[in-house]
Amino acid sequence: MEDLIIEGSHKNYFIPSVNFNSKTGICELSGESFLEDTVEFYKPLISWLEQYIDGVKNPIAFIIKLTYFNTSTSRCILDLLNILKDYEDENGEVVVNWHYDENDSDMEEDIEDYIIDTGLDINLIPF
Amino acid sequence: MASNEKNPMTNFNLYKYYISFNHDVQLSYKGPIDEHILSVISKYIEVILRKNPIASRKIFKIFIELAQNISYYSAEKNILTNDKEIGSGTIVLGELDEFYTFTTGNMVRDKDIIPIIEKCEYINSLDRDALRKYKREQRKKPSGPKGGAHIGLIQVALTSANPLDVEITSIDDEFSFFSIAVKVLKEI
Repeated sequence: MEDLIIEGSHKNYFIPSVNFNSKTGICELSGESFLEDTVEFYKPLISWLEQYIDGVKNPIAFIIKLTYFNTSTSRCILDLLNILKDYEDENGEVVVNWHYDENDSDMEEDIEDYIIDTGLDINLIPF
Repeated sequence: MASNEKNPMTNFNLYKYYISFNHDVQLSYKGPIDEHILSVISKYIEVILRKNPIASRKIFKIFIELAQNISYYSAEKNILTNDKEIGSGTIVLGELDEFYTFTTGNMVRDKDIIPIIEKCEYINSLDRDALRKYKREQRKKPSGPKGGAHIGLIQVALTSANPLDVEITSIDDEFSFFSIAVKVLKEI
């Protein structure tokens, strides 16, 4: 299975960096997410995870280092996390680490809301 | 235009327009809101609020959600490049002693007013925990036609940590002007 790598950019729209590694199971989403077509951008990330879970079946370490995302992105993140939760419920090994700026209390609340929403144990890691 | 026709713009006094903004106004824009405008204004917000990074981040987040609402939903459309329709509206960033104000306005069809007002009133009636719960509930619903998450206004209220100040001005049988103002405290 191939890795999924997208180089992020900060132009008119903000494209997050994506590095999903099929050998290590380390999947990182970082930068900022504000896109022209959010659903279209996140589709390949969702299918990559589904394919990995169906085929590779190894542990996943999901690392989020987003400093900004808009509300349409927030739905897509929920979709990704729900896939991870389903995998965990089927005895897949899942760790989610979410790095955030310690001065950003709005982000901290956002992460807490994802924990409530998904039932995943998300590790909050302030920097 | 025939020379004997009066150009309505000659009645427009630019100086009166200019002084109608007091010195509290840091930025104002009227016109179509596409991704270029979004980008330029968001960079400008970053520059003028550099001394206050927490408020700056909040204003930026609020700006993106409200400006995208105008771009998608304003009843006043402009056709720019590629025959793409872009919503028009107006944006004002103000600075007072204790807080920043961020206001956006755009035309809406009269038939769309009641649901917007009801949504804003409902948001204003909730405390922070209830508002977070409402956001989580709405986010679980299928996305809107533009990939929207139905949670832009909820997020704006959460980010500003203040009520949404909403005003409707009736224009005619078909249209009204909808404006929404939020405050962001300087010291958080």
